[in-house]
Amino acid sequence: MNIPLPVFVAIPLIAAFFLPILSGLGRKAKSFATLLANLATISLLVLAVLALGRSEDIQVYEIGKWSIPIGINMVLDGLSSLLLLAIGVVSTAAMLFSTRYMEQYTAKPKYLSLFMLMVAGMNGVVLSGDLFNLYVFLEIASIASYALVGFGCNNEELEAAFKYMVLGTIASVFVLFGIGLVYGNTGTLNMAYASKAINTVGLNPGLAFALALFVAGFGLKAALVPFHAWLPDAHPSAPAPISAMLSGVLIKTLGVYALTRMVFCIFGVSVTIGWLLVVLGLVSMVVGAFLAFGQWDFKRLLAYSSISQVGYVVLGLGLGATLLAQGHAAWASLAILGGLFHLVNHAVYKSLLFLTSGSVQMSTGTRQLKQMGGLAEKLPFTRTTCTIASASIAGIPPFSGFWSKLILVVAAVGAGLYWIAAIIVFVSLCTLIMYLKVQRYAFLGELPENLQQIKEHRGSMLVAMVLLAVLCSFMGLLVLVPYLRATVLTPAVDVLTDGLLYAVNVIGK
Amino acid sequence: MADSVCNFLCITVFVPMVVGFALLFSPGRWKLLPKVLALLISALVFGLSIWIFTFDRYGFYWPVLQIGTLDLELVLLVQPLGKFILLFACGFGLLITVYSLKSRAGTDKSGLYYGSVLLTIGGSAGILLCDNLLFMLIFWEIVTASLYLLITTGGKNSNFAATKSFAMIGASDAAFLLGVLMLWALSGTLSISAISIQTDSALSIIAFLLLMTAAITKAGAMPLHTWLPTSGESAPTSVMALLPAAIDKLLGIYLLVLIVRNIFVLQPGALTIVLSVIGAATIIIAVMVAMVQHNLKRLLSYHAISQVGYMVLGIASATPIGIAGGVFHMLNHAIYKCCLFLCGGAVEQQTGTAELDRLGGLGKKMPLTFAACLIAALSISGIPPLNGFVSKWMIYQGLIEMGAQKAAPAAQLWPLWLVAAMFGSALTLASFVKLIHSIFLSRLPDDLKDIKETSAVQWIPMLLLAGLCVFFGIFYYVPVQKLIYPALNITATTTALGTWQSGLATVLIIVGILLGLGILLVGGLMAKKVRIVPTWYCGEVQDNEQMIIPGTHFYKTVSSMGGLRQLYKGQEKGYFDLYDQGGRLGFGLTAFLRWLHSGVLPMYLTWVTLGLLIILFILCDIW
Amino acid sequence: MAYAWCFLLFMTGLYCAVVKKNMVKIVLGIIIMEYAVNIFLIMLGYRIGGVAPIVGKGELAGIDKVTSAFVNNCVDPLPQALVLTSIVISLGSLALMIALCIRTYERYGTFDITEIRRLRG
Repeated sequence: MNIPLPVFVAIPLIAAFFLPILSGLGRKAKSFATLLANLATISLLVLAVLALGRSEDIQVYEIGKWSIPIGINMVLDGLSSLLLLAIGVVSTAAMLFSTRYMEQYTAKPKYLSLFMLMVAGMNGVVLSGDLFNLYVFLEIASIASYALVGFGCNNEELEAAFKYMVLGTIASVFVLFGIGLVYGNTGTLNMAYASKAINTVGLNPGLAFALALFVAGFGLKAALVPFHAWLPDAHPSAPAPISAMLSGVLIKTLGVYALTRMVFCIFGVSVTIGWLLVVLGLVSMVVGAFLAFGQWDFKRLLAYSSISQVGYVVLGLGLGATLLAQGHAAWASLAILGGLFHLVNHAVYKSLLFLTSGSVQMSTGTRQLKQMGGLAEKLPFTRTTCTIASASIAGIPPFSGFWSKLILVVAAVGAGLYWIAAIIVFVSLCTLIMYLKVQRYAFLGELPENLQQIKEHRGSMLVAMVLLAVLCSFMGLLVLVPYLRATVLTPAVDVLTDGLLYAVNVIGK
Repeated sequence: MADSVCNFLCITVFVPMVVGFALLFSPGRWKLLPKVLALLISALVFGLSIWIFTFDRYGFYWPVLQIGTLDLELVLLVQPLGKFILLFACGFGLLITVYSLKSRAGTDKSGLYYGSVLLTIGGSAGILLCDNLLFMLIFWEIVTASLYLLITTGGKNSNFAATKSFAMIGASDAAFLLGVLMLWALSGTLSISAISIQTDSALSIIAFLLLMTAAITKAGAMPLHTWLPTSGESAPTSVMALLPAAIDKLLGIYLLVLIVRNIFVLQPGALTIVLSVIGAATIIIAVMVAMVQHNLKRLLSYHAISQVGYMVLGIASATPIGIAGGVFHMLNHAIYKCCLFLCGGAVEQQTGTAELDRLGGLGKKMPLTFAACLIAALSISGIPPLNGFVSKWMIYQGLIEMGAQKAAPAAQLWPLWLVAAMFGSALTLASFVKLIHSIFLSRLPDDLKDIKETSAVQWIPMLLLAGLCVFFGIFYYVPVQKLIYPALNITATTTALGTWQSGLATVLIIVGILLGLGILLVGGLMAKKVRIVPTWYCGEVQDNEQMIIPGTHFYKTVSSMGGLRQLYKGQEKGYFDLYDQGGRLGFGLTAFLRWLHSGVLPMYLTWVTLGLLIILFILCDIW
Repeated sequence: MAYAWCFLLFMTGLYCAVVKKNMVKIVLGIIIMEYAVNIFLIMLGYRIGGVAPIVGKGELAGIDKVTSAFVNNCVDPLPQALVLTSIVISLGSLALMIALCIRTYERYGTFDITEIRRLRG
């Protein structure tokens, strides 16, 4: 089914403007606004699922009927629809969760508005077929996320928000600079035409500079080491559903997706950029994992683990780029499949983990693992969902994380890079150990005196967590069932393996 | 016919797994349903395993996944060794399920407990039946995960043990994964029956070592054994009896046999020496540590490690009789160690403690447990005519035969291995003398006056296992010739036991025992009446408590010997524990990285700038 | 040459953001970077002696004759549109940043970013 693409941006944008106005009308209107926000995210999810069943491989929407390159276009291809799906799932769950969770805070309407702005920005980034529009949507999502990180207005939250904002803005400036360089060298801002121009002329130093700026800028948004320093501050400071959004999809759409689009579809892959991504990915994986298992703050541990997991995704994509450039198409597509599948998996289980951490924090009032213990009895659902997510992220077989890691390892071994396979496996072991630590200190052991009376918060929070846990358990099917793989993952992989076809397809339409 | 067998293979593997997985999520209120389901399904699977045992090479094939050049297909195949071990694994599963019906762990969190037990049974059936290495790995990890869940049912202090076990076995699973994929890169297939690789290239040797790590960690051999005693202390004993004592051994040794005999063609060289050293060191070191333990479950756990050494040594000997001995020892060990853990569990359940210092004189209170425990203890110490003796004897013979092939370097060292094995056996006896003495003989502490025998649900499995010990000892040729030789596809070149005649020996031993009893009786009749008075010391009646001869003091001299003392201390502090040392290293590195993240924004900005510069140089230099 | 000045301005901003400890100065450094990029974009479209890219009603009639000369002489309008958008965005982020500075100052009582470091490790 073909869906008019601006809908994906319009729904959340309209919601963002009208929800605060509506909430001003009184108590009942407030809860109605929350309901509407939920409806908006759910409808986005439904649309994203419907978009999977579209008739053509690639769908181009020209805004205002201005044909490209004069007008602005939106492009929906396999990769975009994969990301839309991830955004839909995570934002639906996070919104459901915040319905109950955000009762703790004042100014819920503002929260809803910012949330919707962030969703609009992310959907826009994913769909944009124009470099400058990509930047605009990136800024919308980023600014909303800066504000959401500082939403609680406590000392740590403000500090984190400021640091995040400084680093994030510098990254945005890098990106804008890069876009300027691309425009200066190719004379167009349309991604398809830029791609065509770059690949007929070849890279000159100006474009290489632009590529470097993109890698640094988007790398910062994706929190790759050494650009990661804002993430462990920002993600734990945000309210739990926002942490889930940030770790689950924001770093992937603004960072990994944008970077991938640039490298594969516009600049074209080469061995150098491939290896650069591989190294960035590996360093992130190892550093993130080591930093994570020394943490005693539940959410900070999760945040560092996000760095490590994004490393997996980038490693998979970088490996794919390297192998593509060397001409090993089969292994390259396997590596890319692993990377993208891990991206989706990580979106689901990391957001679930952040939601469970929110549930724990709401019940116990603390994030410190050392002050918890024995919560398994008191918070049975939180415990179960957290265990499923942990098993998934650690790569215990029937759960989703195992399959994506397996594919990555197989791709590395198939390409003859045994040491990379060994590092992947090693980091996976570190991940296992850090989540065992969470289980051990938070959920097992002895219940402290002051937590004897706590209760689990149920209702919509529970629904959100169970939804994601079910997904975690069965997402392995995405790769195991041929039909699902052919609808969801393979189109996305094809977009990247034949990256330069993007220009041909878009211009041809 | 073949089709129905195939379906039954699937049922054996997947029904317990699916039901087990579902039971994990059953509400805590449901107590009865998990028990009933677990009992029914484990009985069903045991029945099926008997039926499967009567077939040869029937298979089930299901291509699960094909991406690019990666073929992942589930192949379940009835193979001689697999079906033989499957029979026993399912048997143990059923026995433990029955035993757990009355134990505490099986009652408090019954959904979690029985769910994990079923997962274990299904997972091990999967490992033993499947022919695809990657699926084997998947089942293998399911068993690991269910071990973790089972240990967490052990109450408040089990969290550390569970974490440590999962971390260590998880590490070995990671090695397994790497090893499997290396094999795949080497041979282009994942089918166990199709792989046969010479260990001559670096890659194949690394692959062998990785797979070996997985096998010995699961089985619990040195140097990756330390999860076993830790979990032994705090896990429920029924769990210890099921997994580390029985099924983990079966699986670990199964994998070891597979890689030594089927997957790799071992060159008799360094790798054999590595295996033999692991075997010999495990036997001696673990038994030395076991001797000085004060905790019943910890002591048993160290013995569970020590015995693995025999199996590894037997397999390392690479002679038919040695390998058969290793496999037989694995089976025997599963039987008697399972029995010992069940006895220990019964004792702990009835008395509330597993500290040897606080036990004693239970022989009269719990005669059935005593009998079972005594038989199992004698068996593990290698006293003829029990089964432990037979398998150890076969391993000795294997080692001697190995010595006959003078060429290989490992073979030239055969006296070393043989001495280690025999010495280890003696030390085992020594430590079980202590165990039996401190629990069942000695003097009954006052607070244990009201102890009763356990319920029938618990002593029936124990006695059954003890009976099996005796049966396999006297009629050793039944399991050896009917089960193990066909399972390993060996035609015996030498008779299993050389000149050993079990019938004659049994008669002799029985005569000996009767003679001894006679002397005791005669002595008792002839002796004068002994006057019994309270103990006096400096004119005061002394408290009887202090007049005990505690078994825990038996080998104090050993542990305080110069040189050994430092080693024991270091061992207690975990200096030789790879988990602890790895943890220290990891935390050291983490501390450094955390120090770098000082919270100073300009520092972070500097990283960003430097990162940009480096990327710039890399990208612009080339183009 | 002009590009080099622009780049120098960019580096000045980056230097200011990286080295200065005062939060407000860091914000100023970022603003300078943004201006540098904006100027860069403007310069991309600038042409010495160029005309505005607007076609009046009277010129429409003879458009065929003027086209080539017109195209060769007029400045590129696109970057100007971009810069306008980018200025609006940077205004938004500037406002948020300053707001964060003020709130942080209220909490910590200092503008020195090296002393605002509760989150670390």
